[in-house]
Amino acid sequence: MTDDLRKIVHDARNPLNNISVNAELGKLSLESLDDKARAIEVLDTIVRECKRCSDVLDTLTEAIAQSEQEER
Amino acid sequence: MANILLVDDDQTFVDTTRELLELLGHSVATATSFSSAKEIISSRTFDHLILDLILPDGSGLHLLDAIEDQNASSITLVTGHPSVKALVKDLLGPNISYLIKPIDLKQLKAAISSTRRTNVKSDSSDLHFGCLVGESKPMHRLYEQIRRVAKTKANVMLMGESGVGKEMVAAAVHTASQVKGELVATNCGAFSGELIASELFGHEKGAFTGAIQRKEGVFEQAIGGTLFLDEVTEMPIDQQPSLLRVLETQKLTRTGGTTLINVDCRVVSATNRSEAQLAKEKCLREDLYYRLAVFPISIPPLRQRKEDIPLLVAYFLKDFNEEYGANIGVSDEAMDRLSKYDWPGNVRELRHAIHRAYIMADDEQELIVLPDDFSSPFSQGGSEASPGIAVGKTVEDVERELIQSTLSHYDGDKKTTADVLGVSLKTLYNRLNSYAEEQV
Repeated sequence: MTDDLRKIVHDARNPLNNISVNAELGKLSLESLDDKARAIEVLDTIVRECKRCSDVLDTLTEAIAQSEQEER
Repeated sequence: MANILLVDDDQTFVDTTRELLELLGHSVATATSFSSAKEIISSRTFDHLILDLILPDGSGLHLLDAIEDQNASSITLVTGHPSVKALVKDLLGPNISYLIKPIDLKQLKAAISSTRRTNVKSDSSDLHFGCLVGESKPMHRLYEQIRRVAKTKANVMLMGESGVGKEMVAAAVHTASQVKGELVATNCGAFSGELIASELFGHEKGAFTGAIQRKEGVFEQAIGGTLFLDEVTEMPIDQQPSLLRVLETQKLTRTGGTTLINVDCRVVSATNRSEAQLAKEKCLREDLYYRLAVFPISIPPLRQRKEDIPLLVAYFLKDFNEEYGANIGVSDEAMDRLSKYDWPGNVRELRHAIHRAYIMADDEQELIVLPDDFSSPFSQGGSEASPGIAVGKTVEDVERELIQSTLSHYDGDKKTTADVLGVSLKTLYNRLNSYAEEQV
């Protein structure tokens, strides 16, 4: 794998990580604080981070296609 | 509750993790760049740093340099890939914890609690080999000897007065050797003739009356590790050949058994007699001495390293404060008195004195309160009275000093003291009783 591809994979981890910590925060908000409003905000963040992750994966797809073309 | 600085260039991650950590009861400051993190670090101290390695304007590693002088902080690195962990570990040593993305609550909690443990460790970083305190020349010589011998398999004999910490040095040798096995300790003075063999080498079921089941001896328990034989010179002389045999062949048979068992361990032995006394008193066979004392180490008495007293006092106070959940300190004046005293009972006596002063501490001022007189029953004739014969002393004074220093030399063993002084045990008791009455 080229350095560029490696970097994109690395970039995909950030939104994934945010989905994970926000899911934990959502759980805590409901379990310990019973704060539904905060939980909904947190879920919005998760949706946003999913989109961000999807964008990164699009970039990854493009980069793979490009590197395959270069190989030919 | 911990005081945490969180540094990462991803704003969403920083905000969410801050909220999570605050919900867990911690106090959190955040930064999203190298420069702002550096600024925060320069003005405040933190218990923990959670750090992204790669920041847009610099490396998290450089931040570590910046906090080097603020030694209280412990560090957790956030990384995207487990392989970074292995790489950075070599760079930064094991005292660092990691969060691997994607991070969940369990990981986060574990990182904070593990860094807290590292914190305790770094607090006691002034300990050598995890147990020895002191920065004086004699102690550094001792550390060097421990380091040297740790690389070998040589048996070590520790010599030093009572209370200098022979068991601690044995533990240090064991730690420094980084062996797989255990450190097993036994006191050779605590067993009668027949029992010592069973203690050292074990016995088979039915080997003698009372041997209701098989027992492993300490030699076997210490395989692959270190066996500490305290007061080895107190071992009955007729039992010493069997110890010699095991040391020579590195094999033993349990009492009443027939199978030969390989025993491979380092033997660290200890005595409070000097080398000269060993030769003169013939309490240890010569051949056994050479097997045990391949590398003899003498541990300095406390009076020869008085500059370590403040360090030891601080260490003991920290220990007691942790145990009792208090925050008692020591005044300069008290430290001065502690540093001037000779401590004939060495570190053990100092610890005992600090413990006593701790119990008597002034709770309002949070300071230990020292007694008017440090001397214990075993330290008579210590610092103030100059021992020895001088014109002007009465025969009674000299006799008293002789008895007390002999007694203290033999760790309060009255029978040996009476034998050495050439008086009956009864006479010795009479004298001691009369001194005790005088004191009242």
